[in-house]
Amino acid sequence: MASLTLKSISKSYGGAEVLSGVDLEVKDGEFCVLLGPSGCGKSTLLNIIAGLVPQDRGSVQCDGESVDHLSPRERDVAVVFQNYALYPHMTVAGNMGFGLRMRGVPKKTIRKRIAETADLLGIEDLLDRKPRELSGGQRQRVAMGRALVRRPKIFLFDEPLSNLDARLRSNVRLELKQLHQQIKGTMIYVTHDQIEAMTLGEKVVVMRQGIVQQVGDPETIYGKPANPFVAAFIGTPQINLYQGRFVYDDGVSFKAEAFSLNLQGLGVSCPDGEGELGIRPEDIVVVKRGQGPLEAHVDMISNIGSEKYVHAFVGREKITFRASKESDFDQGQGITLAPNIKRLHLFCQGKRV
Amino acid sequence: MNRERIETGILRIGRMVVLVLFLVWVLFPFYWMIISSMRSLEDIMANPSNLLPDIRQLDFHSYYAVLFEHGFVQYISNSIYVTLVTVILSVILALLGAYAVTRLRFRAKRWMSAGILGIYMFPPIVLVIPLYVLFSRMGLRDSMNILILVYLAQTLPVSLYMLRNYFHSLPVELEYAGLTDGCSRIGVIWRIVIPLSLPALTSVAIYTFMIAWNEFLFAFMFLDTPEKFTLSRGVVQLAGSVHLSKQLVMAASVIVTIPILVLFILLERYLVKGLTAGAVKG
Repeated sequence: MASLTLKSISKSYGGAEVLSGVDLEVKDGEFCVLLGPSGCGKSTLLNIIAGLVPQDRGSVQCDGESVDHLSPRERDVAVVFQNYALYPHMTVAGNMGFGLRMRGVPKKTIRKRIAETADLLGIEDLLDRKPRELSGGQRQRVAMGRALVRRPKIFLFDEPLSNLDARLRSNVRLELKQLHQQIKGTMIYVTHDQIEAMTLGEKVVVMRQGIVQQVGDPETIYGKPANPFVAAFIGTPQINLYQGRFVYDDGVSFKAEAFSLNLQGLGVSCPDGEGELGIRPEDIVVVKRGQGPLEAHVDMISNIGSEKYVHAFVGREKITFRASKESDFDQGQGITLAPNIKRLHLFCQGKRV
Repeated sequence: MNRERIETGILRIGRMVVLVLFLVWVLFPFYWMIISSMRSLEDIMANPSNLLPDIRQLDFHSYYAVLFEHGFVQYISNSIYVTLVTVILSVILALLGAYAVTRLRFRAKRWMSAGILGIYMFPPIVLVIPLYVLFSRMGLRDSMNILILVYLAQTLPVSLYMLRNYFHSLPVELEYAGLTDGCSRIGVIWRIVIPLSLPALTSVAIYTFMIAWNEFLFAFMFLDTPEKFTLSRGVVQLAGSVHLSKQLVMAASVIVTIPILVLFILLERYLVKGLTAGAVKG
C-alpha cells in the first residue's frame, strides 16, 4: 500500500496535448476514480502512473518519493485492463502466478497466494482453464485475481467493467467495493461511467481534454459541480443547463432566451453578466398554474418504472424533471414549474459562483 | 427438377471438372519426374514418352548413383547448412526488427518501416552483378556464408512485413501486463510475444526455408568449388555434365523437391494462418 502524488503531468502525442499539468493526490488506501469522456487522457494518465508510457513533463511520486526513473516492475503496481489482457497461452493459475514467478517468489508461496485469491474471488474451479475457455465475467475476475495476488503498492483499473453486460457490471461493481473495504488497497480506477465513479469513488477526478476539471468526493462533484462540464457530465437524467446573463436591477435575476428567473437575493457576482444556469431534474417541482416562474408544456415522458422523467419545453428551451411514478401528464399539457432556488447551480464564465 | 437444383448440379459437376483438371496440371510434372527417375536409361532411350512404364522395372538405382557417385550427399548437407542458418537468423532478426518497428519508438522509424518493403522491390537480377563484382573484389565469393548473407537480405523484407502485421494484431496491453508483472522488455518478448507468435514465426521459417532451399541464381553465380555447391546448383551441374542421363537429373530433382513438399504439407496451416493474421481482427 502506498500513497500517490502526481505533479503537473503533461503528455503530447504528435502535436496534440493529451494531458496538461495534471496534479493529483491519492492517499494510502484511497479509492480514486478518474472520470471523463473517452479521449480525455485518463487511460494515458494510468499508463504514466504504471510507468508504461513516459510523461513529457511532471513527476510521479509514490509515498513522497519520485518513481519517474523506475521501470514498471520496480514501481510495483498492478493493472487490470479493459480487455483483461490475460496471457492466452497460460492457464488461469499460470496467469495469476506469472507476476510472482517473475519476482522470484518461492513456488510454495505462489501456490498458497493463488489459492487464497481464487477463494476470495470464487474462481477456484477455473484455475486449470485457459482464458479462451472462460466467459467474459470469468475473465474479468481472473484479471482482478492476477492483480490482487501480487499485493502491489497500487492497483490501477482501466475501465475493467466496460466489457461486461449491464447486470453483471452492477454486481461486480458492488463486489469491487467490498473488496476494497476488505484489502484496503490504494486503487485508481479509470472509467467514463458516472455511476461507477459515484458508487465506487471516495475521490472522483473529473477530466476533460487532458485537464482536471474537479476533484472531490461524489457528493461534492454532484452537489457542487465546479463548472458546466462537470454539471452536465454527472447525473442522469442530465442537468438542465441554460445560457444567459445575470441581470442586476431589482435584486439578481438570470435571463435566458426563453425565461427569466428571479434569484431572490442569492449573492451572485458576475461582472459582465454572461453565465450559465443549471437545474437538476430532481430540483424542479410542478406547482399550481401561474404560481411559479416557469411556464412549460409537456413534450415527452420516459417511464423508467420507479419514476418518470418528464421532458418539457419552456419556450424554445428544453427542460427535464423527475416525477413520481403515479404522476400523470399528457403530451402538450401546459404546466407551471418551480425550481428549488437554493439548489440552483450558477456559473459565471465557466466557473461556479 | 426445378431451376435451382439444375444450377447447383451443374455447379457441382463444373467444380469437380475444374479441380480434376487443375490437379492433373499440377501433379503431372511430379508424376513424370518421379517415374522418369526410376526408369533405366535404356528404357528411356527406347521409349521416351512412355507414361505408364512397367512397375516391375522401376528401381531406385539412380538415387543411389546421384547420392553417392555424383556428390549429392555433400550438396544436401551444404543446402541444409545454408538453409538452416538462414532460417534461424531470419527468424531471429525478423522477430527483433518487426518488434522494434511495431512497439518501440526511435528516429527515422517510419522511413525504416517503409524501406523494408522498398528493398524488396529490387529484382535479384539487378543485384547479382554488382554483388558479384563486390564480393569478388573483397575475396568473399565462393563461400556458403556469403550465400546466407544474400538470402537473408532477400527474405528479411517479407519476413519483417509478415511479422509486423502479426504484431500489430497482438494487443499491446498483453505486453503492458507483462511489464507490470515484472518482465523486462526482453522477458516480454521471450515469455509473451514469442509464444503467441509461433504461427507467424513458423510461416516466416517456412517461407525463408523455401527461398533459401530453392534459390539458384546467386548460388550459380557465387559458388565455384563443387564441394560448396548447394542442391539446386548441384542439379544444374549434373544436368550440364557431358554424359547427360535424364533419369539421374530427375532423381536429383526429386531429392530437391521432397523436403519442401513434406515441410509444406506438415506446416501448411501455419503458413496460411501467419499470412492472413492481422488481416481480420480476431
